[in-house]
Amino acid sequence: MIDIQLLGLLNATLQAATLLFIAALGELITEKSGILNLGVEGMISIGAVAGFITAVNTNNIFFAVIVGVLSSAIFASIHAIVTVVLKQDQTVSGLILTILGLALSSLIGKNYVGKKLDTKLESLFSINDPSNIFEVLLSQNIIFYISILFMILISYTLKNTMFGRRFEAVGEDSKAADSMGLNVIKTQFIATCLGGAFAGLSGVYLTLSYVPYWTDNMTAGRGWIALALVIFGGWKPYRTALGALLFGFLEALVPRLQTYGFELNPYIVKISPYIITILILVLLTIYKDGKTGAPKNIGIPFFRENR
Amino acid sequence: MNKYTLSKRQAVNELSTFYSFIAGFLIALIIGSIILLAQDKNPIDTFSLMFRLSIGSVNSLSSSLNKATPLILAGLGIAIINTVKLWNIGAEGQIFMGAIGVNFLYINLSLSNSTIFIILLLLSAFLGGAFCILIPALVKVLFGVNEIITTLLTNYIVIGLTIYLVNGPWKDPDSLNFPAAAYVGKEVYLPNIFGKLSYGFLICILFTALAHYLKNKSVFGYEMRIAGGSEMTAVYAGINAKQKAFLAMLIGGGFAGLAGGVELLSQTHRVSTGISQGFGYTAIIIAAITGMRPIGIFLVGTLFGALSIGGSVIQTIGVSTYIADIIQASTLFGALIIQFFFNYKLLKVDDD
Repeated sequence: MIDIQLLGLLNATLQAATLLFIAALGELITEKSGILNLGVEGMISIGAVAGFITAVNTNNIFFAVIVGVLSSAIFASIHAIVTVVLKQDQTVSGLILTILGLALSSLIGKNYVGKKLDTKLESLFSINDPSNIFEVLLSQNIIFYISILFMILISYTLKNTMFGRRFEAVGEDSKAADSMGLNVIKTQFIATCLGGAFAGLSGVYLTLSYVPYWTDNMTAGRGWIALALVIFGGWKPYRTALGALLFGFLEALVPRLQTYGFELNPYIVKISPYIITILILVLLTIYKDGKTGAPKNIGIPFFRENR
Repeated sequence: MNKYTLSKRQAVNELSTFYSFIAGFLIALIIGSIILLAQDKNPIDTFSLMFRLSIGSVNSLSSSLNKATPLILAGLGIAIINTVKLWNIGAEGQIFMGAIGVNFLYINLSLSNSTIFIILLLLSAFLGGAFCILIPALVKVLFGVNEIITTLLTNYIVIGLTIYLVNGPWKDPDSLNFPAAAYVGKEVYLPNIFGKLSYGFLICILFTALAHYLKNKSVFGYEMRIAGGSEMTAVYAGINAKQKAFLAMLIGGGFAGLAGGVELLSQTHRVSTGISQGFGYTAIIIAAITGMRPIGIFLVGTLFGALSIGGSVIQTIGVSTYIADIIQASTLFGALIIQFFFNYKLLKVDDD
């Protein structure tokens, strides 16, 4: 017989991890191709608000997910145009994408603060009060299974298919990839928009299931934690998933420590995810001695010299 | 069939950043107009109202300059840190920490000479900002931990700390349900030069000059530039790159802390979560748009201060204040797009 509290902890861990993991997976693809996109926070926010508004107005949850994902992908294309096509600074562009995304989503969502959803993103099987690990695993939200599917699919694609190997080729040495006849611009453009699409999926999960409502700045730094996760995962999908589970576990654990008899200041509980992220990032960097395994061309715009 | 290829321009026009900014601002106004039209608001009426209410009178101009002060100071901090090619995304947290630094010293010290007291309080704000970036700076130079993520995350930590302080140990019982610390005494208010214009703006001018000197004229600025360049050059020049980077980060954090201190002593007069409304993020836009030039930061910061005032007053006619944020961010995107045409030219090549 497993403690019901432990099952609750597992459940909360999986939910928090899913949210972070999907966004991190998208950023992983983008960064693999050599493009750093610091706009994750803004892209999640755009997807979150677009999905929520669509769901409130149409009551069609499937359509809402599609709209949220596409909105973020289109939003990410701003970054693609500015950095991939026009070769401007990726750090600057990504930061502004976050600022613009947060402001734009607040503007669009102004009349939807406090609105209630009639339909939510549901779990695959409805199990009330799961009483063992399998029931917890089976009662997860549909996005959880989708993210596992994507993890396997993306890991396989990046390693074993022509389409996927391109991203790494371009991200490691864009000039060599170019001389091999790969279309660098196109590859990086696709990778950036894919990153946006996944951030959007994370966003709709946030507003259509995890929370589920809309309010300003509700992403609360998750986009940045996702960025840290990519570093943690060493640009590998499975390790990133492990990292997401670890972060999700800690995020779920700290507020529950009280039930295990620890006295905790609620304000410290609130900021613990950010402290934990910094701590893990520092430990990891020390452990790896600064060699993180980042794509070699990350942040460097591709430019073909005149011949 | 013709193909096009890109060519890097050998000499980029010195004023290209300025031209790009102007063009970017125009693009942003167009985007702002579209958003206003979508909300059934007349853009020309709205913009002229914003213009009038932000710089149309001495009073409103003073408000704009007061608003610009923290934006400029935080922007200067970002620019100083960028001299060593590092990013400070933590200005927002440093602003809060500066205000916390002021209140901390105010509670624990009392001086009869208010001029010296104010100077000490501002020094405490500077130290608060520097303290806020201490951990990111340390782990950056010691272990090479990505400073973009660590400085950003400290924002959430410091704002969490602020919420704790104003709900807990510093909570003013007289503020009723609004969580805030007690007001500081009138004797430490930063006085106004004339009308509503605070002495904070004078401090802002002084620190713009200081930042310009530090970055472009001083030996330290020269050393910072080398430290931010290649490792080999720094070694060859006998410059301790890590030490310079560390110092640059603390000084830059201090500038943003000072922004919080000035804001507290001249505007809010107490610590609350309203000390900064995203000033640290707007400062990033300002610093980036000017290519990290202190004088440019001063000018664009002034414009953005006016834009923020304009943005907050048009709320009364039912326009979201976010329109100012969107115009600011779009300006930078527009400028980045235009900058491309200064850096590259499209060449037509015949297909072979």
